Amino acid sequence: MPQETIVLILMLPIVATIIAFSRQIIGIKAFGIYTPLIITFAFLVTGIKYGLIIFIIILLIGSFVRVVLKRFRFLYLPRMAILIILVAIMILLMFWAAIYIDQMVFTEISIFPILIMIILVEKFIAAQIEKGWHTAIILTIETIIIAIICYFIINWQVLRLFILNNPAIAIFGAVAVNIFLGKWTGLRLVEYIRFKDVIKYVEFPEQSSKK
Amino acid sequence: MWNFLNNLQKSKHILGINARNIKYITPFNHKSAIRIADNKILTKKILKKTGLPVAITHAIIHSRKELQNFSWQTLPKSFVIKPNRGLGGEGIIVVYGKKKNRDCWVKADGTLITIPYLINHTLGILDGDFSRVNIPDITIFEERIKIHPALKPYAFCGLPDIRIIVFNNIPIMAQLRLPTKESGGTANLHRGGIGAGIDMANGITTNAIQRDKIINFIPESIIPVRGIKIPFWQEILELAVETQKITKLGFMGIDIAIDRDKGPIILEINARPGLSIQIANMAPLNERLERIKGLHVRTTKKSVRLSKELFGGEIEEEIEEISGKKVIGAREQVKIFSSDNEQYETVAKIDTGAYRSSICYSVADKLNLNKSIKKKSVRSALGNEERDIVSLKFMLDNSLIDTEAFLAKRENMKHDMIIGRKDIKKHLVDAAKNVRLK
Repeated sequence: MPQETIVLILMLPIVATIIAFSRQIIGIKAFGIYTPLIITFAFLVTGIKYGLIIFIIILLIGSFVRVVLKRFRFLYLPRMAILIILVAIMILLMFWAAIYIDQMVFTEISIFPILIMIILVEKFIAAQIEKGWHTAIILTIETIIIAIICYFIINWQVLRLFILNNPAIAIFGAVAVNIFLGKWTGLRLVEYIRFKDVIKYVEFPEQSSKK
Repeated sequence: MWNFLNNLQKSKHILGINARNIKYITPFNHKSAIRIADNKILTKKILKKTGLPVAITHAIIHSRKELQNFSWQTLPKSFVIKPNRGLGGEGIIVVYGKKKNRDCWVKADGTLITIPYLINHTLGILDGDFSRVNIPDITIFEERIKIHPALKPYAFCGLPDIRIIVFNNIPIMAQLRLPTKESGGTANLHRGGIGAGIDMANGITTNAIQRDKIINFIPESIIPVRGIKIPFWQEILELAVETQKITKLGFMGIDIAIDRDKGPIILEINARPGLSIQIANMAPLNERLERIKGLHVRTTKKSVRLSKELFGGEIEEEIEEISGKKVIGAREQVKIFSSDNEQYETVAKIDTGAYRSSICYSVADKLNLNKSIKKKSVRSALGNEERDIVSLKFMLDNSLIDTEAFLAKRENMKHDMIIGRKDIKKHLVDAAKNVRLK
């Protein structure tokens, strides 16, 4: 359906702006801009329920593979290959299970969203090596939350209609917001919380007396 | 509501990541300078050329071929092996000593390290076992920096270092980073190391954080993290200024360790210093940076003097320097020692109207200090009164005071101890300080 494709293409700038906003103003890091964006579109194909199920399964396999293979000191690419093999086996098993419990929708999912989820798991494992479990889990949760929010925004009928009717306003609006974000030097929302004690403590007698 | 707006106004003085990147890193750190800072070997080479103290590199192994031809006998008694691009302290081995007449070294815990073991470990580093996503790496053999005795009691199994933010050739803010049990011996704050803010004027720690939360003591101990005096403070500040002049990074973090024998040594430089230093110091960076912008200071000594004057603690230190006496407040935290050296903490009132200190019966009973050594009659508003005098030992402002004090009925009073003139002869009293201390 060309209309659906056009809506999705017009949604790209909106979703990208939301991700940029949540980084610069709120302070949600996630895995850059591309990963949450593409996960959002994967969710669109699979639906939020199956999307999350597939994601959690892939993530568990990924962590399992890393923990098991760590002691054998496998090189990175063979390790990722083993991960993908296990994911393939798991998805096949799930297809089989879905037929048994009569959830035929699941078997209609195409291969591409599954591959997209694997990107996130690769990012997760890289972050885990680089910054430790704690950070990796936080970044992954942030990515998923942003993707879920963007998923609901894309499915918002009011916005869809608006964008189809006023594509120019949507695109230039997004550009304008990003120009503002690119020059924004204020504190992020999470930084207000992080530095709240310092803010409380700060005192500048000479300034307050002048004003 | 007013309070909220007030806080919003005040928060402008805090440096956030957005402002750090746009206002300081992009305009003041040029790409070529950042490239140097990100390459540890190159940074060291450049700093060493200009005569600044860096850890001695014993050897570098780039490839398997170099490893085959490497003569292990050239390595000294103690050294550190590390991957060039290692993350979070992984892949680092610290070797403390060499076995006599044998090609075999010893680790801190006494385990032997043989040449085959070293070859195996080096191979691991070259293959990228310790770098991000297994990119092949370089192995560095470096001098082992010995921890300075002044800092040793505070560090858990690792090397503490001092991070200094320098901008426009002036040290802006500093923090002492201490490895803890939780951080596994690295001084990395993300891993749970302690960051202690430092008073720029005298190099004494003021306030400390672990995982962005304020702490008073080193975890699982009673060692206070405030009041740690950093040795070589003047030299460290000068070193930080010199490093900035050479590396041309306009806004940078410098990590300096202190060696037992050699003094300050530059560990590494950072083009994107973290911002939690503001919590450790309970002071905002933005405001300090704004004050420094556009200043032209020629000599290093002057830069350091400016830094100390602008960002040091209050005038108190000056008074202390002139008079040689420390300033205490109207109320002070004290630790009273019992007869078997147990500690009792309380807040005492400083009373310059009284000659002798006095403590409450209830406290004296609790601490087994109620043995009267003499009696003395005192005149008070209630007439003449005979009071018991006991010997008393207490800590006031880090100094031990061994004295004699009155026993008095103070159960219903706000303070269970009063400190009189006799015991504060080495101090000056600031009547406005610590009035609300609890």
